[in-house]
Parts: sequence; structure tokens; C-alpha cells
Amino acid sequence: MMDRRSLIARGAGLSALAALGVPRDALAQAAAKGQLTLAYPADVPTWDPNARSLAAVQSLYKTVFDQPLTQNPDISPKPALITKWGYVDDKGLSLGVDLRDDVVFHDGTPMTAADFRYSFFERPRAPVPEGGRRLDTSFLWRRVKDIEVVSPTRAIIHFSEPMPSAVAWFYFLCSYVVPKAYVERVGVDEFARKPIGSGPYKLVEYQQGARIVLEAHDKYWGGKPAIPRVTIELVRDPTARVAAIESRRVDVSIDVPIREAQRLGAISGLTSSIDAITDITLLQITKNGGFADDRVRLAAHHAINKEAISKAFFAGAATPIAVPAAKGTPGYPLNFDFPFSEEKAIALLKEVGHGPQNPINIKFSSTNGAFPSDFEVARAIVAMWKKVGINAELETVEPSTYQERLRAKTLPEATVFSWGNTSADPEMYGGYLLDPKSIFSAMKSDDLGPIFAALLVETNEEKRIAGYRAAHQFAAEKGYTIPLYQTVKTIVSQNGVNIVKYANGWTLPQTYSQKS
Amino acid sequence: MTRIALQLLLRRLLLAIPILLCVSALVFVILRLLPADPIAMSLPPGATPEDVERLKRDFGLDRSIPAQYFIWLGKLLTGDLGTSIFFRRGVGELVSRALPATIELVAAGLTLGVILGVAGGLAMFAKRGTAAEQAIDLSTTGLMAIPEFLWAILLILFLGVAFPLLPFIGRLDPAVTLPPTITGFLLLDSLLSGRWDALRSALAHLVLPSLALAIGLAPLVMRVLRSSLLETILEDYITQARLRGIGERRILIGHALKNAALPTISLIGVQGGFMFGGTVLVEMIFAYPGLGNLMVDAVRNHDLPVIQAVALIYCVLVLAINAIVDVIYLAANPKLRAAS
Repeated sequence: MMDRRSLIARGAGLSALAALGVPRDALAQAAAKGQLTLAYPADVPTWDPNARSLAAVQSLYKTVFDQPLTQNPDISPKPALITKWGYVDDKGLSLGVDLRDDVVFHDGTPMTAADFRYSFFERPRAPVPEGGRRLDTSFLWRRVKDIEVVSPTRAIIHFSEPMPSAVAWFYFLCSYVVPKAYVERVGVDEFARKPIGSGPYKLVEYQQGARIVLEAHDKYWGGKPAIPRVTIELVRDPTARVAAIESRRVDVSIDVPIREAQRLGAISGLTSSIDAITDITLLQITKNGGFADDRVRLAAHHAINKEAISKAFFAGAATPIAVPAAKGTPGYPLNFDFPFSEEKAIALLKEVGHGPQNPINIKFSSTNGAFPSDFEVARAIVAMWKKVGINAELETVEPSTYQERLRAKTLPEATVFSWGNTSADPEMYGGYLLDPKSIFSAMKSDDLGPIFAALLVETNEEKRIAGYRAAHQFAAEKGYTIPLYQTVKTIVSQNGVNIVKYANGWTLPQTYSQKS
Repeated sequence: MTRIALQLLLRRLLLAIPILLCVSALVFVILRLLPADPIAMSLPPGATPEDVERLKRDFGLDRSIPAQYFIWLGKLLTGDLGTSIFFRRGVGELVSRALPATIELVAAGLTLGVILGVAGGLAMFAKRGTAAEQAIDLSTTGLMAIPEFLWAILLILFLGVAFPLLPFIGRLDPAVTLPPTITGFLLLDSLLSGRWDALRSALAHLVLPSLALAIGLAPLVMRVLRSSLLETILEDYITQARLRGIGERRILIGHALKNAALPTISLIGVQGGFMFGGTVLVEMIFAYPGLGNLMVDAVRNHDLPVIQAVALIYCVLVLAINAIVDVIYLAANPKLRAAS
């Protein structure tokens, strides 16, 4: 039996826990007062938005900074800082842009064409100090020869050679306008510590690797965001993100595992979405070893049942793709399919003297945990290949090892790989993944070189898009690529929050609202 | 006593120099022998093979491994830990922001582990020969069999989700703002600035991660303390004390525990070092912004300068804990003082 002393001691212990802990109601009240807490899986490496081109954190940058253009939820381009754009010559070397006249940075200073020039020409071209590192914009905007400031709201970008994807780059990685006067006054390091942008939120607190606290920018040109205060909890562990939303400690949780998203969706008070986005998962293939013959690569492609993979690992949401582009994006060829057919695979392998009884041996690598279900998908593919006569030796690799082998041209026959492209521009799909000159391409096929070389400078937009569609189809038909499916994005939220879903996977709290 | 302790610390410091040199060389060489390309991990679209080579030159990765090591070591001696490839910032800045969080977490984990361990050890000793002792013994085996990261998940599911008593994300509640940075230690800064809301919130956020670490330590302390007590209680001076009519509780606390604690102190020193290793996954699971979380990011991105620096700092922390434990051991053991 418990004596009085024990009872008091235990009671005190429980009271202490309750006093330290945060009741769920407290968070519910916070949400009602216009605060939103979001569990997000990645942190920015630096708050200088021009420095690093990481797809996973663009949504975070977009809360504080503005891009010249942005995208609608259906990924169509949308005016942002730039209201109008168009080439002012017939060679595609001078692009004129009109800027808004009502944009102010968080410190109250107006955004002008001088800031635009600074962000896209002066900063990328600035000499790198000793021990410093070049901005990623210096790679991305290297074809910019000069930016002519015509007026505070008008600029003309002059290119050294045509950059037809420039407009798409205005809403892609790293392309943010930063305040010239502020950065020059405080220096880059201080700017990264206390960033100022013209975006919908001001950064009021940042704990590296822990949380980001944002407050609405009253003078935002697009209107003050509906939710005045947003706390982004940086939670890398998926189990913790699941627990965070399940315990209602956050209002929204991003990128939870598929099965958990399904389970949470069935819980009263929670809403779950599982959608394919414009990022893609594919097999990066080479002509090495057993894949030297086109027919073996084509057989390997035919043997993969992408629908089955989607159903088994992604609740059927991972849209299968026949070319290295998301379906419905400009570079995806209309009416083209690359069917799953074990019969075709077996017939192709038979032509080269192989079959289920006499399999061809290949090496196959995959990361394990770098992308959703990557290794599980690889194992499923191994089983599918085995049925038709391809014996794949599966190896786990780190992303850094993959990169090392890609650079050294020592990749095995196939590797599971994920490719992000929120812009959905075809150059950022096939242009990078298939052009033999690209540092990202695994397939180095001579016949692809001239095709992409022409497309990279094609200024006629219709011709460019048609060219990419044809190039993507050509690559699939020749066995130069084995695309698998569109990557899946999961969002679980409390019912009280209205979420705007973007087809490119952006998570933008500035577009969210709370139900009254 | 103070002089002997200082001599001991000096000896430890001198011994630490070759250990740190060996560890740094080992980590440096192993990282560079791995078939991985740190530069490629951070390349933007539009980069050319020439850019890759230029970046390698920028980071000094085009030189021989010994040359790279001596350059790094030379800079280290001037306090320059290099620049992160992934974060594009000084490693020193990154580490100095993360280190206090890890020290707070390990200090809390050690304190909690020792309290639970000593209390459990005394309870086991008090219940010796009974079914309760067997039950406690069995449960300690179970506690030890589960690794820290699994405890972290179990604690979140139990005390965070099923019975939501404690927070488990980050270091502060969303509604609580950071106190001004004075020392870099959140608890201390909250206290110094009189921010009681932040102090309460930070303490609450510390409970579950430190408990996940402590659960690994407590059963070991319990078992070693119980064994030591069983041996100590048979000593003549304990019998003498009983003959003098001193009560059992006073004998246990005032006489036996002091002597039985010596092996436990050694154990805590060793386990304290291991606890730093345990923080890597625990910090990631609890979104706790310490060195462990930084290390996870660095390893994922093959950020060599950060991995090297964090590994070295872990080594320094382990050596520091061992030195502190040696001093405590010295203070608690008169025989050792006499020998010194």
C-alpha cells in the first residue's frame, strides 16, 4: 500500500511533468490567434538565398525573399516582381523586364531595378574574397553579360549567348532579389545572419537546425499573408514529424512516410494529401557492362512494372512516366508511352542470347533512405528483372559516392536516382539528365549531344518545347533513359488549416489560411 | 588536494595532445580515402567539369592527403576550423552555435542517469534477496538492450503522443521567443536574463531527449553500484559501525555508499563519453540543434571540414569528461591522494 510520503512524492513528480509540459489546448489556442506551426524536414544551409541551389529549401527562401517570377499551384508561370517580360531583339540576347513599383524590402526601402541588377549580375560577378566561395548564381547566370538599368522599374538583361530557359530560371533555384544597399552596408555575413528580403514574411528568429520564426510583412506587395506568425520547426526525423502532427503540436507536417500519411488521414481532425509532384525518380543508366547493347537497356525498361511499384510503395500516387519529365509538363511528349511488357523484354533479351535461364549480369546501385522508398523500389526492380533474364547485383551507395562515380564515369549499369525540378522546364529535365556535356548526365551518348546543344540555345519557344519532347521520346526509344515515376509529396494538416497544394511540391505558408 | 588535482589535470592535458593528433589524422585520412566527392554534392546546375576542378582547388582537395592534413592542422592551431562545403560558412561559427546545446543535453542526460542509477542501485541493494531485486534486475537488462534512438522514439510515442505531457521538438515552444544570447547556453541565458518562460520551456524540452540518453546509463550505474555495495557491506568497518549501534540507513549512506561509489564514478566517466555518441541520433529525432544534428547534416553531404571538426570536438569532450571524473575520483578516494 502506498504511504502518504510516497503519494506526495509521486504527486509532485506528475505535477512537475504537467507544469513543464505544454497542454495540447495551448497550441490549439495559439493557432486560433493566428499562429501556425509547421514541421519541415530540411533547414537552409545559409540565409543568403543566392548562395546555394538546393531544391529542398526553396519553399523556405520563398517565405522571406521574392523571385522575379513565381508559379501558380498548377505550375504555370505567374508575374511576381516582374510584371512583363520579352526579348527586345531577334537573337534572344536581350531580355527586357518590367518591375513592380510597389515592392518594399522588410526595412522599408523600395525594390528597384538596381537591386535586380545587383542580384543577377553584380553579385554573381563580384570577385570572391580569400577563403570565400562563389555564389551558385554565378554558375546559373553566367551567360548574363550585363544588366542595363533603364529606369527604377525597367531593366534589360544582355546575354553573351541565348539563354532560352532564363524565364524559367526566374522562378527556379537561387533566383531571388536581395537588397543591394543593405547587403553592401552590412556585408554578406551579417546579411546571412539577419536576412532582409521583400517576401511575404520577415525572419524574426532563426535557430540553426531547430526552428524558423516568421512574421507577416505588412507592406507586402501581394497583400499581407493571412497567417500573421509562422513557426517552422525543423524536424528531420520522419517519425518525429508524424508524432508532431498526431499530437497536434504542429498544425502542418510535411513529407511524412506514405503509410503514415494514409493512417493519419483517417484520424478525425486531420487531413492528409498524397500527390505526385514535378520531381521525378528514374534509373540513371550507362552503356557500361551488361548495358552496352541497346536491346538490353530497352528490355530492362520494358520489364519494370511502374504501376505496381506505385501501388506497392506510394499508395498508387506516384504517376508512372515514360520519359524523364513529369506528365503534363511542357517537355512530356503527347501520346507517348513506354509499356510494361515482360514478353517484349524477354524477346529483346533473346535477340542478344539471354533469357530467364541464361540471365545477363549487371550491377545496380541505390541509395538507402536518401529518397522515399529508394532501396525498396530497387529491390522490386531486381525481382522484376530476374523474371525476364536480367540478374542485377544490388549495391547500396551514399549520395556522395554516386556523385563521385558519376564524375569519374564509373557508375554501374543502373542507379536509382531522384531529380528535382520545380520549374518543370524541359531543359531542367532532359537538358541536364541526358545532355552528354552536362555534369549530371550518366548516359554519355554521342548522338544526344547535337540534339541538346541546339535546344540549349533555341530561342523559338515553340520549337524549343517541341524539340525537348522529341528528344525525350528519342532517348526513351533508344534505351538511353529508364524513367520510373513522379515523386510523391505528402502533407498532413489539422482540419483548421487551408492548405494550397502546389504541383511542384512547394510548401508556402503565405498561401495558407485558417478556417474561422 | 588542489595541487594534486592540478597535477593530474596537467598530466591529462599533456596526454590529450598526442591522442588528439592521432584522432585528427585518422579521421582526416579515412574521410579522404572514402570513394565520395564532397564537391559534387554541392554543385549547382550549370556547373562544368572545369568548375568542379576549380572548386576542388578552392577547397584544397587537389593536393596530396598529407599536404591537406598539415594545412588543416596549421589552420586549426590558429583557431580556424575551415569553411563548410555545404553551409558555405565558417565551421567555427557552426560548431560554436551547436556545441552548447549538446553540452546541456549530455549534462542533463548524465545527471538524470546518475540520479536514476544511484536511486535504483540503492533500491536493488535494499531489496537484496527478494523477488523485487530479481524484478529490478530483469528490467535493467531490458532497459540496456534497447538503444538510445529507440528509447527516443518510444518516449515520443508514449509521453509525446499517447499521453502528451512533454514537448519533443526543438528546444522551445513555438510561442516562446529566444532569450538574448549571453553565454550561448539556453538554460543559463534564460536564467541570466530572467526569462522564466524560456527557462521553463527549455527545461521541458530537455526532459525527453535527456531521458532517452539517461536510460542507457542508469541500469549500468544501478548494477555496478549494487555489486559494489554488496562487497562493501561485508567490510570490517561496516561491522564495526553496526556494533557501535549506527542505524542501517546511516551506514549505507554515510559509510558504504562513499566507498562503493568509486567503481561507479569510473563507469560514469566511460559512459559519459559514449553518451556524446548517442546524441547524434537522439538530437536528430528530437530536432535538437546540437552537434549531433550538425554531424548528421555533414555526413549526409560529405562535408569534410565539418565532420573533421565535430569528430575532434567529440574527442575533446570525451577527454574532458574523463579528466573531470579523474579529479572526482581523486577527491573521493583518500588512498589515491596518498599515493599521489
